[in-house]
Amino acid sequence: MAQPLEKVDRRDAKLALAHLFVAFTALALGGFAGLLQTLVRSGKFELPAGISYYTILTTHGVLLGLVLTTFFIIGFQFAAVSRTTGALSDGSRRTGWVGFWLMTIGTAMSAFFILTGKASVLYTFYAPLQAHAGFYIGLALVVVGSWVSGFAMFAHYARWRKTHRGQVSPLLAFMSVTNMVLWLVCTLGVAATVVFQLIPWSLGLTDRVNVLLSRTLFWYFGHPLVYFWLLPAYMVWYAVIPKVIGGKMFSDSLARLAFILFLLFSIPVGFHHQLLEPGISPFWKYVQVVLTFMVIIPSLMTAFAMFATFESYGRSQGATGLFGWLRKLPWSDARFFAPFVGMLFFIPAGTGGIINASHQLNQVVHNTIWVTGHFHLTVATTVVLTFFGASYWLIPHLTGRVMTKAMNRLAIIQTIVWAVGMTFMSGSMHFAGLLGAPRRSAFSTYGNSPQALEWIPYQIAQAVGGTILFIGIILILVIVINLAFFAPKGETEFPVAEAAAPYERAALALENWKLWIGLVVALILIAYTVPIIDIIQNAPPGSKGYKLW
Amino acid sequence: MAKAAEAARQTKKEKEPALKGTLASVFLLGFFIIFSWVSVYFLFLHRL
Ligand code: HEM
Ligand SMILES: [Cu+2]
Repeated sequence: MAQPLEKVDRRDAKLALAHLFVAFTALALGGFAGLLQTLVRSGKFELPAGISYYTILTTHGVLLGLVLTTFFIIGFQFAAVSRTTGALSDGSRRTGWVGFWLMTIGTAMSAFFILTGKASVLYTFYAPLQAHAGFYIGLALVVVGSWVSGFAMFAHYARWRKTHRGQVSPLLAFMSVTNMVLWLVCTLGVAATVVFQLIPWSLGLTDRVNVLLSRTLFWYFGHPLVYFWLLPAYMVWYAVIPKVIGGKMFSDSLARLAFILFLLFSIPVGFHHQLLEPGISPFWKYVQVVLTFMVIIPSLMTAFAMFATFESYGRSQGATGLFGWLRKLPWSDARFFAPFVGMLFFIPAGTGGIINASHQLNQVVHNTIWVTGHFHLTVATTVVLTFFGASYWLIPHLTGRVMTKAMNRLAIIQTIVWAVGMTFMSGSMHFAGLLGAPRRSAFSTYGNSPQALEWIPYQIAQAVGGTILFIGIILILVIVINLAFFAPKGETEFPVAEAAAPYERAALALENWKLWIGLVVALILIAYTVPIIDIIQNAPPGSKGYKLW
Repeated sequence: MAKAAEAARQTKKEKEPALKGTLASVFLLGFFIIFSWVSVYFLFLHRL
């Protein structure tokens, strides 16, 4: 207890905080857009001043799906790397700031074109919908900025390895690097379509675009994107939560192996988003669906490791019976409770994912609001609640403050509000989706067709859930602003768990980056080379751009 | 030599925590996944 707390260097803390600040600003604006969407879709409310539903929906998807997540993750990872492998060098930190400003300028630029109605193309920006070139250029800046920050992390990690030869790197640093490798490899696809196809086409330099190629490159990025969101949540689960509850990590090597498996199997699988796309041969869809199902292995490893961590701890505290250990967990600690509720929601979320990726079942749910319900469980509950839970120690750690009891209680309430709101909203999205209700559509009764009328009660339930969720957004903003500016000064721990077994040789073998990156490239080449050649060679004439809003 | 290894294994075995609850939990999780998947599969068959 007398030992001083290990802290993130103050200058690195500033860099991390800058990222968190943009992330929570995006949450505030994007959350408001989400509320408006549910109200419009209930049929009881219309947007004022001729604002288009699709402008709001693009704002929501881009701000929450792309901006909130990327900024939070990079900020969190800078803090995690600095905490576990020491202060960044001046060069790495400066590089991190360059990355931050590139991403921020890019975000501002894209946001400008979205909000002025020149880019209502949704966050997937599928061609042939065509936005103003400034929207794509802004997105490209965000991606380039994230690369710059990724390189700052790689350089820092390489320097640590050089000065600690033969040692296993700290788990959080290893995981951050894995996630940035994943990000770097997958963003190459989206950068390719944006730079070589969409920007020249939106500038009028080219007239037509290969739609299937651009969508394929997007989903080459789009699926790993969801793992880029998820892995930082897993970092918190594996490496932080055991310490928060007062226990130990079940296995350090298992955690590393799971991350490597995610790296390998989350990229060559984008076709599971394109199962109903004509123009891709069923064989290659099948190959990628098989690879998709491989991701279930590290996912179930993670579920097992979490249960085992909790049970080991509970039993060490004298718990008996089959589930007695559950009672020993620190339910009144928001740092544990919020991520734990996130984990619970991942059970239906992951199950929904397996359903989506199964070719036949995909035909039941494809492009229905079921899919929206699905990712509001994965990213908007599991990931986001874990990020909130991490903020409860990360922000006060970085600002030199402490979370008060009252704020902790508010954070518990916030978690419950979010869980209730999301159960309503996502639950009714799932059921309406099974009845065929489309996603990405403003309110319509489709000429009073009986099928569309069936959806309306669910749409009203979505608005109820959305309203509760918006209260949740207000609560988290109150907590975050308190932690950043008003909480009492003091020292807060950045919890990092120890492994139950002190040293595992396997961990060292897992640091073989040449091998992993080689395998990643090999799997991508196997899954994508032939179909992409086919998509280019047998392409129909490209499409002109459409601005349908 | 063999004895020492055996003894080491024995003590290790003793330290191995009893994870019955974990086993039950992962089984429940597995059943939930299978149940949900089969439900939607029947919906698919029903609509064929
Ligand atoms: C107040 C909380 C929220 C509400 C009420 C809400 C509501 C909605 C609704 C109604 C839609 C779909 C509408 C449609 O397809 O027509 C939607 C889409 C979406 N939401 Fe949320 N959401 C919330 C929070 C979040 C969060 C926290 C995230 C991400 C971290 C998120 C990410 C997305 C994304 C990526 C889309 C897809 C947009 C698209 O299809 O183009 N949402 N949201
Ligand atoms: Cu996917």
